[in-house]
Amino acid sequence: MSAPGAGGEQSLLFALPKGRLAQDSLSFLEQAGLSTPTDTESRKLVLPAADGTVGFVMAKPRDVPTYVEHGAADLGICGLDVVRETDRAVYEPLLLPFGQCRLCLAGPAESAAGATEAEGDLAERSLGVSSSLHHPGTPLRYMSQPRIATEYPRLTRSFFAERGVNAEVITLNGSVELGPILGLSDLIVDVVQTGTTLRINGLVEIRTILESQAVLVVNRAAYQLKATEINRIIERMRSLTT
Amino acid sequence: MNGHIPFGVADYFWDEASLRQSLLDALLETFRGWGYGDVIPPMFEFDSTLSAQYDDRLRSGMYRFLDRDGSTLSLRPEFTTPVARLVGARLHDWPMPQRFCYGGSVFRYLEPQAGRQREFWQVGGELIGAPSPAADAEVLAINAAALKAAGLTEFRQIVGHIRYYRGLLEALALNPEQAQQLHWALERKSEPLLAEFLRETPLRTGQRQAVETLPQLVGENVDAILSLAERHIQNRGMHEALRNLRQIVDALDGYDTLNSLVIDLTEIRNLGYYTGVTFEAVTPGLGTAVASGGRYDDLVGRFGPSQPAVGVALGVDRLLVAKQRQEGADAKNRTRRQRTVLALPRGSAAALVQVQRLRQAGVRIQVDVNDWSADRAFGYAGETDVVDVLLWEEEFMHYRRDEGGDFVLIGPLEADCLSPPQTTCAEIAGQSK
Repeated sequence: MSAPGAGGEQSLLFALPKGRLAQDSLSFLEQAGLSTPTDTESRKLVLPAADGTVGFVMAKPRDVPTYVEHGAADLGICGLDVVRETDRAVYEPLLLPFGQCRLCLAGPAESAAGATEAEGDLAERSLGVSSSLHHPGTPLRYMSQPRIATEYPRLTRSFFAERGVNAEVITLNGSVELGPILGLSDLIVDVVQTGTTLRINGLVEIRTILESQAVLVVNRAAYQLKATEINRIIERMRSLTT
Repeated sequence: MNGHIPFGVADYFWDEASLRQSLLDALLETFRGWGYGDVIPPMFEFDSTLSAQYDDRLRSGMYRFLDRDGSTLSLRPEFTTPVARLVGARLHDWPMPQRFCYGGSVFRYLEPQAGRQREFWQVGGELIGAPSPAADAEVLAINAAALKAAGLTEFRQIVGHIRYYRGLLEALALNPEQAQQLHWALERKSEPLLAEFLRETPLRTGQRQAVETLPQLVGENVDAILSLAERHIQNRGMHEALRNLRQIVDALDGYDTLNSLVIDLTEIRNLGYYTGVTFEAVTPGLGTAVASGGRYDDLVGRFGPSQPAVGVALGVDRLLVAKQRQEGADAKNRTRRQRTVLALPRGSAAALVQVQRLRQAGVRIQVDVNDWSADRAFGYAGETDVVDVLLWEEEFMHYRRDEGGDFVLIGPLEADCLSPPQTTCAEIAGQSK
């Protein structure tokens, strides 16, 4: 592994998220006039930009804030949902105009039957918890000990704690919608873009916990040590976001 | 007995231990050179003594336990408060200013990160009883000197002033949620959060401009930033903060540190007891601060007569990581620890007398206590990093390991052949082959 930041060289290392945000991140960087890696499918872990000015690591989205907090990367792009969930000490100067989604609390549709867009056949589920308290408008403080399946345990816990509810948080690594179907949990907290996944699994949104979009994160030391380069990048990005 | 150790602590041994210890010594020696005297506070104290002035983050990270009489004790999470207690409670009538330096373990219940365990090491100094900008400048300068002594060539000191922000908060008269919102926006240097704050908070034009300008109060151009900040002063507190900062910067003239300064008036993370200038040092290769400090005029007064004070603490663990990353590949041929010599006295009292003489001359010698044969001794030496072996035959015969790992006789021991530097000795070895 080539040691980033070693020596006096002032080149920057950028951490980008694999998956959902990868393509948008790269095209945004190109729009901002930054040289991007030519071959992101490569198995090499650190990719140089076409003109060699900036290096890129493709990381799991959740690891981007970690890389940046430790200074293994100087800057990174990831979702605001991930920044808030991981709660790392990084600067986040700009929101970027892509990756919009919302972190939602959702529950089985039949409990909200009639009140919302319960589409007939979907509401026909017999097992599962049928507490009317899952109704979108009902104050959550009426729930005694809801079980919540989520990939966002920190945000879920604090969301319920703020409402005085002691939720039992079940941390999963994907396919959270299965929770209520299998009776693993009463509700879920998950990222929603269009709502299609929720609908086909018979779930409806109950509350929005966080409006998310892509965000630029910067290491605190690099922000001062490489101020010129980083400010130039922020400047270019800002002109695209406003 | 399974030999496990708790999460967050570590054993250091061999080169790592000696490197750590010698860095600690070098840092302390820097402080001593500036007239700071050693102080060794206790490892644990009453929880109420330590935690009263900490912020929530630090307070929730303390190791607490009960004494047998039921009182709550805490392991020290830093040194400043114990030193302030000592001066406030016991040394308050001794002439001021008083300068103290310290080094040792502190304990915080945090996720281990970047070279820092839950037990980690700090070296620092406190200058108590001097309110002047010159005192602040001294601590900034000594921090730079200590960082250089630690072997860092490239670093920045980010300097802020807590009273600028507190003055602004006072002027804005925000409710707690609004203050929290502004705090968040600044702590994360988030333009969108700051814009949201400005959108949602009704402010007078001048106040609005003062908040809008905050993100620009960061950078190396000290003079320009202070001038810009002066244009948005809302009250006396903000004015005094800036005047104080200017005086500190002026007082740094003459110390070789001005080119490492970065002003950041939005840097507001701190331990909670700071009342004036605050600063952090950052260095390439490490994402977190290697040193931090500031002025705390209200802390000593909690334990006795009030005294102004300023201090700094350096993170030994983080310095070691930063140094290692900066030196990178060429770290291997750096000064290694002095190797010990193995002497076989073979029952001779005269041999032991000779060993004592060599030790007094500064040579590190271990003596065979197993009555080993020469071959047995060479075997042990070969496996344990020992290069020089002395065999007693009327006088000490000097054997040295060659590149092939075999021990060859150089000849009768010559006194300056063992003491560092050993270059002359290598030449002798070369000739004798």
